Amino acid sequence: MIHTCFRPRLAQLARILALGFLVLPGNPWAETLSAREIMQRVEDRDDGDNGTQDMEMILIDKNGNQRIRNIHVFSKDKGEDTLQLMFFITPADVKDTGFLTYDYDGVEKDDDQWLYLPALKKTKRIASSDKSGSFMGSDFNYSDMTDRELDNYDYTLMKETEVKGVKVWQIEGIPRTEEESDETGYKKSIVFVRQDNYVVIRGVNWVNKGGKLKYFEVKKLELIDGIWVATEMTMTTKKSKKTLHKTVLRSHNVKFNQDLVEDLFTIRRLEKGL
Amino acid sequence: MCLCAHTSRAQEELDDLLEGFEDELEEIITDQPSDAGPGLWELTGDLSVSASYAYAHTHSDPIKREYRGLAALRTQLRLQLDLDLPRDWRARVSGRGFYDSAYRIQGRRNFTDEALDTSEDELEFQEIWLQGSLLPQLDLKFGRQIVNWGRSETIRVIDVLNPLDNREPGLVDIEDLRLPVVMTKLDYYHGPWTLTGIAVHETRFDENPDFGSEFFPIAVPPPPENTPGNGGSNTEWAAALTGIFSGWDVSLHWARFFDDTAHLELVPAAIGPPRPQLEHARLTMLGASGNYAMGNWLLKAEAAYFDGLEYFVLAGDDKTRWDIMGGLEYAGFDDTTISLDVVRRHISGFDSRLENDPDFVENNRVETAFRYTTEFMNSRLRATYLATIFGTPFDGGGFMRLSCDYELRDALTVGGGIVLYMGGDFPTFEANRKNDRLFFTAKYSF
Repeated sequence: MIHTCFRPRLAQLARILALGFLVLPGNPWAETLSAREIMQRVEDRDDGDNGTQDMEMILIDKNGNQRIRNIHVFSKDKGEDTLQLMFFITPADVKDTGFLTYDYDGVEKDDDQWLYLPALKKTKRIASSDKSGSFMGSDFNYSDMTDRELDNYDYTLMKETEVKGVKVWQIEGIPRTEEESDETGYKKSIVFVRQDNYVVIRGVNWVNKGGKLKYFEVKKLELIDGIWVATEMTMTTKKSKKTLHKTVLRSHNVKFNQDLVEDLFTIRRLEKGL
Repeated sequence: MCLCAHTSRAQEELDDLLEGFEDELEEIITDQPSDAGPGLWELTGDLSVSASYAYAHTHSDPIKREYRGLAALRTQLRLQLDLDLPRDWRARVSGRGFYDSAYRIQGRRNFTDEALDTSEDELEFQEIWLQGSLLPQLDLKFGRQIVNWGRSETIRVIDVLNPLDNREPGLVDIEDLRLPVVMTKLDYYHGPWTLTGIAVHETRFDENPDFGSEFFPIAVPPPPENTPGNGGSNTEWAAALTGIFSGWDVSLHWARFFDDTAHLELVPAAIGPPRPQLEHARLTMLGASGNYAMGNWLLKAEAAYFDGLEYFVLAGDDKTRWDIMGGLEYAGFDDTTISLDVVRRHISGFDSRLENDPDFVENNRVETAFRYTTEFMNSRLRATYLATIFGTPFDGGGFMRLSCDYELRDALTVGGGIVLYMGGDFPTFEANRKNDRLFFTAKYSF
């Protein structure tokens, strides 16, 4: 409740600030955006195409013990869909395991996924529309690794704030259906979106089961070939403020606009290996 | 006032919750793989120690094939050399060697020579192949290799090209289950279709328990086995047409090959009456298989028609058989996969004499396999339950296996479990019903 004697001063301050925003170059918020519009811009943000990277995934348990997975990733856009091919490099017991995904835009069609198991010399189709499971033992779900359908969520712009000196929007997202909640494993999320480049740099996810929370944070954000890339991210699973497990995801050697052909994203290549 | 207080409290809770981000990340330094890219060659492998303990027999009596106590104490080394050659060609040479000191500990004199030859030690090449593209859409792979057909991970219907290591049912590491054979394999790719042609040059059959092993079903040595030579007129042939589509796939298969299961024949002897000998019939298979993904469900199906099956009591005559398998796999529970596969094998024009010694074949044989796999502790701990049971209603025998694997650290796992053998109408399973055992494995991969 603001005392009435301060109102004229606040109104004057607001006008000054508003003029200031209009004058400042590169003002990213000259128009008022709704939460849905902001999230649409997050989705529409150019995340690069024909990309390769070396992904390092560090799994850290509550005692600080680490397990490390190194994965080489190829990705390519095919219209609105995304093709992705991953090969495990280390540790040795999962080396040459490959994972091929055709990530289709839209909710009508389930993604196609295949897993190559070197021990069996066999490619196995994975049927899992449910993306709430852990990605390779990490704190990231499969739903964290793919785009979510905006139409399946109700977004609310909570406020404007700052994260480490950078202006962000704080947005709440709640699944509209129980089905969506079951598929992602989350019943609510709050994300922090940078106002200058529409990158989600922080987030909290309320996990459906077990009263847990997952804290997502971008630790390093780099501009590579004109694309903002989160080169270091963490996902921390907590319960009652205690850390249960943490995953650090680092991206090295990130490159875009590589000459990747669609033939790369096939069972043929998956079985041949890197 | 109440609403404001509630809202204020909720906001405080939310603010407190949002303080859960760690502002300072401790520096985590790791050894990154070299940025120089893959080299010309790479040597990998694993070193493992495994042990098993047979507890169900009351005592050991080698004559009766009863064993109690330490059943295996095996040290195994597997090495694999991968070579990157020009123009995206590759080569692999791999081998395996093991020594099982349980025989020495238990006293080698308590085991037959055959059992010692088969199971005490081994040193062999496994995969040795050369692979590359002859044309942009045509791949060649030549050498000792494994080709895994079929959709089921447990039941074999169209998966007929590679023999199996059956020396210790339920205990063999899945990596060692299929035995590689020398093949020439050509794959032609056109859109979603792949046409495969295979010539199998090496004649190799299942490795079964040898006379004297606790898994060998009878107390007398088997007759000699006629093993056809390699290549030439004994070459086995196979072809497949596979289509991969969104949400489903289908494949058609054909093979002309030797039956891994031998049958008894009386063959003329140079002197004296005909003598018994184990022979491998030449079979022709036509088969099909498919997958259909539906949400969290994967539907699997395989069907095969076999011609040329031979049996002792039907000397000179052969039979045909239909194998039809249906399976379901469900992955809707977090970090858990459940699968159920059922196959029915039907012999056409069945002769009731086939049910007797030495053939022991049923008109309709049903096999059911159930697998439950789940992971805990961010995939550090993995538990698997596998049950394979024959007959309806499950009266033929089979085995159940419960195992756990724990990742101590990267590339180092320890595990163990129990295998329970169930007796039943099938003589082999009835003979093995008391071979229950506990097992333990430690494995380091490099």
